[in-house]
Amino acid sequence: MSDAFLQLQNVKTHFPVERGIIFRRHIGEVKAVDGVSLSLLQGEILGLVGESGCGKSTLGRTILQLVPPTEGAVILAGKNLAQLKGRALRESRADFQMIFQDPYASLNPRMTVFDTLVEAIRAHKTVPSSELANRVSELMKKVGLSPRFLQKYPHEFSGGQRQRIAIARALAVEPKLIIADEPVSALDVSIQAQIINLLAQLSREMKLTLVFISHDLSVVKHISDRIAVMYVGKIVELGPATDVFEKPLHPYTKALVSAVPIPDPEREKKRLRVILSGDPPSPMNPPGGCAFHPRCACAVAECSRTVPGLDNFNAARQVACIRAKEIN
Amino acid sequence: MTAAPQPATLRPTDEIEAGHSLWQDAWHRLRKNKMAVLGGIFIILLTIASFVTPLVASDYYKHQNLDLGATPPSHAHWFGTDQLGRDLLARVLYGGCISLSVGIAATVVSVVIGVLYGTISGYIGGRLDVIMMRAVDILYSLPFVMFVILLMVIFGRNIILLFMAIGAVEWLDMARIVRGQVQSLKKQEFIEAALALGLRKRRIILRHMIPNVLGIVIIYSTLIVPSVMLLESFLSFLGFGVQPPMSSWGTLINEGAKSMEECPWLLIFPGLFFSASLFSLNFLGDGLRDALDVRASKD
Repeated sequence: MSDAFLQLQNVKTHFPVERGIIFRRHIGEVKAVDGVSLSLLQGEILGLVGESGCGKSTLGRTILQLVPPTEGAVILAGKNLAQLKGRALRESRADFQMIFQDPYASLNPRMTVFDTLVEAIRAHKTVPSSELANRVSELMKKVGLSPRFLQKYPHEFSGGQRQRIAIARALAVEPKLIIADEPVSALDVSIQAQIINLLAQLSREMKLTLVFISHDLSVVKHISDRIAVMYVGKIVELGPATDVFEKPLHPYTKALVSAVPIPDPEREKKRLRVILSGDPPSPMNPPGGCAFHPRCACAVAECSRTVPGLDNFNAARQVACIRAKEIN
Repeated sequence: MTAAPQPATLRPTDEIEAGHSLWQDAWHRLRKNKMAVLGGIFIILLTIASFVTPLVASDYYKHQNLDLGATPPSHAHWFGTDQLGRDLLARVLYGGCISLSVGIAATVVSVVIGVLYGTISGYIGGRLDVIMMRAVDILYSLPFVMFVILLMVIFGRNIILLFMAIGAVEWLDMARIVRGQVQSLKKQEFIEAALALGLRKRRIILRHMIPNVLGIVIIYSTLIVPSVMLLESFLSFLGFGVQPPMSSWGTLINEGAKSMEECPWLLIFPGLFFSASLFSLNFLGDGLRDALDVRASKD
């Protein structure tokens, strides 16, 4: 795709595993992200789902260069972020921001909301002091908070309010890309909807590209244009949100979708569940061939030998399964 | 599910509400702790008295009156006099000045070294951290009273050296505590958020790291002061500390103990002051810990 706004090319993030205190021996690698290629349009919302430990958070942090990729390119608006270093990287951070999972840990407890937001505004631009108060109030209103709370400290807010402050901080630098790493999993269900809607609305209004990371398919379904499903460091399925949810292609996605409860007792009783046996494999030592084959109901002998690529299933959808055409 | 974000406010007032910083909250909690407040007041009064006395009556503590000799407490000498006829009240207050100075100066030395060392070790991490912390372990395993005594023997008996020696031993705890704090802070999401904002390292350390480590540093400093004072009086008691005619509580207790049967007031008053200030500092330290570190005290 030539008009891609964010493009990942075969991104790999491996963490070395070492043993020994002073003389370290290299004993292996955790392949947290192992060859992810993706492209997003400007203003698109991508939902990234997968089990805990599948590498989705690491992928988010790798895109933002909080963790340097081992291999591959992260191209944002024509600029390869993976090659930026030091000052250049710090300055380009105005273009991409992150919203964290735990709103209780992501705000400095010793700083007022005003100080937190001012710090973010001033991180990349010089704004005259006379204008600061206006800018900060505007940000607060944008995320649905009253500016009269500006002099308060994070511990005086509820979880949902804190997450709004964290969103305001991310917006303060006027980014083009936001990665939201499980932004609602620490919140009450009633608050989750508010935060998801706020993010969707902001993304629409500001033409923000949003990568929404979650382990909960039903949360992602509402907000995303497309969904990417990750398993042990790789994307196994990618496609429009409704398609992936209504008619999943990959056996793993089928299991995920079948695990989402239906809020209707009649239909819930009839819901077919695909129960996966076993735990996800260790990313340090993933099984050969398709990483999912030991847990897969459709696996054949070939699956343990061939590593499936993320191939086109049709124009809009991609799936990494050698039997995709047969089983669907 | 509603489409528009709910404004989080209910009251339609437009005034900016004042927030309570964690420091203010801690101050409120500290004020409710009677023992800590009493301890704090006692320490402040004692500090003022100890530091003003040498200024007002600079030589009175060594003014001898051999004809008078040792007398029990009286109107003229509230705490009595020692064998050389010196006023004990003046000597106790002057001793307080020395003891408190040693306590504070050695604590400052240990805080500065400990915080710097611990922050560097914790922030940089990796192999450097391992090496720096093993060095602390090695120093820790030395019998530290022996170490101080050795220093005194080699470099002579000198008050400044006493400050340095005690400070150089006491920073080990501080370094470990600060390192642990910095390590856990480093993994906090707000530090990651600051990195993601593209803030400079200096700003991250100054605005985000240090204010969050400060609480613990303050708590442990108030607890280091009494332990340093104890160490000083122990060394003085052994004869390695402050030399006459200067006095510290350690030397006064040492002298008092020698004549405890004939003139008990010579032991009682310095001992009383010393214990009272140690109690006060410990109560204040405990109070500060409860006030600043809510997690440790409430659950």
